Amino acid sequence: MAEERKQRMTATAAAAKVPKMVRANFTANLKAKEEGRPVAFSFIVNCYDEILRAMDIVPAWAESYSGICAAKHDAARFLEKAESQNFSRSLCTYATCGLGFEAWRKELGGEMPPDAPWGGIARPDFILGTGQMLCDLRYKWPQAVQHYLQDVPAYIGGFYWPPYDENMDRKEVENYYLKYAVKELKGAIAFIEKQTQRKMDWAKLEELTDLVDRTWDMFIDAYELRKAVPTPMDTGDAMNTMVPLAFMLGTQEAYDFYKALYDELKEKNARKEGVVEDEKYRLLWGAGLPPWFALSDFQYFNSKGAVFPAERTYREAERIERLDLPKLSDPLERIALRWMRYWTNWYDAARRRKGSIPEVERLIEYIEDYKIDGVVFHKAFSCRTWHAGIMLQAQILKEVYREIPMLVLEGDIVDFSSYNEADTHLRIDAFIEVMENFKNRR
Amino acid sequence: MEILKGNGLAKAESYYEDYGGRARALKKEGKRSIGYISVIPLEIITAAGFIPVRIKGDPRKAVTKADSRMETLVCPFLRSAFDLTLEGRYDYLDGIAIPHTCDSVSRTYDVWKHNIPLPYYHFLNIPHLDDAPSMEFFIDILRTFVKSLEKYTGKEISKEDLTNAVEAYNANRRTMRTVYDLRKPDRPLISGVEMIKLLAAVRALPVDESTALAREVVEEVKARKMPAMPKPARVMIIGDQIDDTMLTEIIENTGAQVVMDDILVGSKLYYADMEATRDPIEGIAEYYLKKVSLPTFYRDKGGSYEENLEVRFGHLKRFISEFNVNAVILLVYKNCDPYGFEVPATMSYIESLGTPVFYVEDEYSSSSVGRLKTRIEAFLETLT
Repeated sequence: MAEERKQRMTATAAAAKVPKMVRANFTANLKAKEEGRPVAFSFIVNCYDEILRAMDIVPAWAESYSGICAAKHDAARFLEKAESQNFSRSLCTYATCGLGFEAWRKELGGEMPPDAPWGGIARPDFILGTGQMLCDLRYKWPQAVQHYLQDVPAYIGGFYWPPYDENMDRKEVENYYLKYAVKELKGAIAFIEKQTQRKMDWAKLEELTDLVDRTWDMFIDAYELRKAVPTPMDTGDAMNTMVPLAFMLGTQEAYDFYKALYDELKEKNARKEGVVEDEKYRLLWGAGLPPWFALSDFQYFNSKGAVFPAERTYREAERIERLDLPKLSDPLERIALRWMRYWTNWYDAARRRKGSIPEVERLIEYIEDYKIDGVVFHKAFSCRTWHAGIMLQAQILKEVYREIPMLVLEGDIVDFSSYNEADTHLRIDAFIEVMENFKNRR
Repeated sequence: MEILKGNGLAKAESYYEDYGGRARALKKEGKRSIGYISVIPLEIITAAGFIPVRIKGDPRKAVTKADSRMETLVCPFLRSAFDLTLEGRYDYLDGIAIPHTCDSVSRTYDVWKHNIPLPYYHFLNIPHLDDAPSMEFFIDILRTFVKSLEKYTGKEISKEDLTNAVEAYNANRRTMRTVYDLRKPDRPLISGVEMIKLLAAVRALPVDESTALAREVVEEVKARKMPAMPKPARVMIIGDQIDDTMLTEIIENTGAQVVMDDILVGSKLYYADMEATRDPIEGIAEYYLKKVSLPTFYRDKGGSYEENLEVRFGHLKRFISEFNVNAVILLVYKNCDPYGFEVPATMSYIESLGTPVFYVEDEYSSSSVGRLKTRIEAFLETLT
């Protein structure tokens, strides 16, 4: 088994608690399997959180396990196994890592691959995917993994949000997008009821929908405290503190986590306690999934006096009030519209600024609200979803807003072979110099 | 170039070499064109009075301008197509319509729009599913597409316009199938290279001209006197945007012959007809969602894994049998998640039919021809 790297230091007590929470999630799915309780293989940010929790289904998060293998520097053997099955190295490495794991488990007659990180991931009773929320892999991975789990049924629910078109008001088409999403969510419930012989508890679903609304608000309240100078928490920690939002949405624990984070950040702000002693540069993580095997790079930035008070990545929530949601009694409509407006609420701002696009409006808002000096993007070679269009965002940001130093790092999410620490640090050093010159010029 | 009537193959070759030349010439006569990527309901574009032009790339030309605007992590076909468009190869287009097929295509919509400003752009969310709610949703998506074209042209698209377009494309599909039939004899009457040229060329022609050209090819080829030669090994190619003769030349230079395909400019679009429904939009939706077989669809009818494999790949079994295929070459471009993730399932399905299959990843670039040639020749040698 690969050597585990020294753990990244965290600035907040909240972030330090996260590895245990992630481990508990995996222990939960393994334990549920042992006890005969239903386990669903699924994906984060997928519209199903409240449904799964209301029906007491234990989620086994697909991408999370690959991320863990990457963080523990133990993904290579699963990637190689996938390659031996004819999955190209250019494909999404979250998926190829997971598929390599399942191919291996199948070869072993259902036993976990040897020394599987954290004991492995449970063999699911069913699979819940989506098309298109959020990426191709949400339906291709289920389809591909069934090659190794042929007796495991899958449900793929359709979920889209209206595309951005500066000549069209999104509300003109929103109704039919919503109608579709609700029907597909109903389909998911019918599928789970059939698989588990359990009935949906609609009152509980409604309660959990309220809880998620409150969790989104609390998440934003906590994260907005990072606007303080010096910032009390940066993206290095946010790559941990996203866990309850992504993996535990619809649980009281997730809400409590963000309340505790809020309290902690408020106290830090009162003491003017920043991530670094002498905060020189405030950066925005503009786009891109992180290299899970190299999160210590955030500390390298910190060592140069650079902090990340905000990031686009994993900020998968918005203040509910901002979404201008109508009063809806059906929890499925609430879930669907909340997600839809999450994606489309930036459209109006983009329409107001000629030549802009919603993704760039979001960057501009964070740059202004968090007093940002520079933007860092990360391009992971194996993921089209988040990393195609980054160059355009950088181009438009300059065109419609202003000159601002930008750095595009290149690597991957899981595949460590794509990464060169010395080279990355050199690029960061050069970027810091650019920032310094830019600051002096202004 | 003046090409005499009855010389369909030469005409196809000329359109293939000067791709889009006909649409460019027609622009001078006032006909307008809309470019598209991947698969999109051409009937609607035609009903709106436009020539739909498939934006193709050119694997024989290195990507240059696109490198600074579109990430290299997207599909190499798309980068090549974007590069050519940036260079002005499609400067006669009035607009571009892009469907949500895969992430490479959907996530770069704004890249096209921003870097290649045209009067008309439209993005269509084509569902990945074919259940009843997806069908209703897709019908709404198509109605929005119709409205956007009406708004752009200032002219209503009538039911009659749509019905006529559906009929024209059904006639085109029927004719193309008769071209495919010419590949069925032991000594196929049309070569794979000739076929690829025709298949690629017609994607930039008005539908009626495409049908007329296919008819000319059928008449010409049927009259051919084939020299006596040994029966070739019969190969089927599977892949996405294979729109160049490179792969087929490699295969046919070994003495084997490509007799069938499952590619996006080929049989995928021709082996089913569109139903003439009372509301033409319904028939169009049904065709593109249920009858076109693409890896960007998740099709699961609730049966066993094997039953679902039949739903996904059953057409390959039919092709292998009807065209008496001896071997299959599966070519997938780098960075293609939809095709890439189904390679093991596709291969094991074909192997289960007793047909050898060879999988190769490529980059939509002539720079890889040498490597491709060596590997394909080695595979085809195993058949003899």
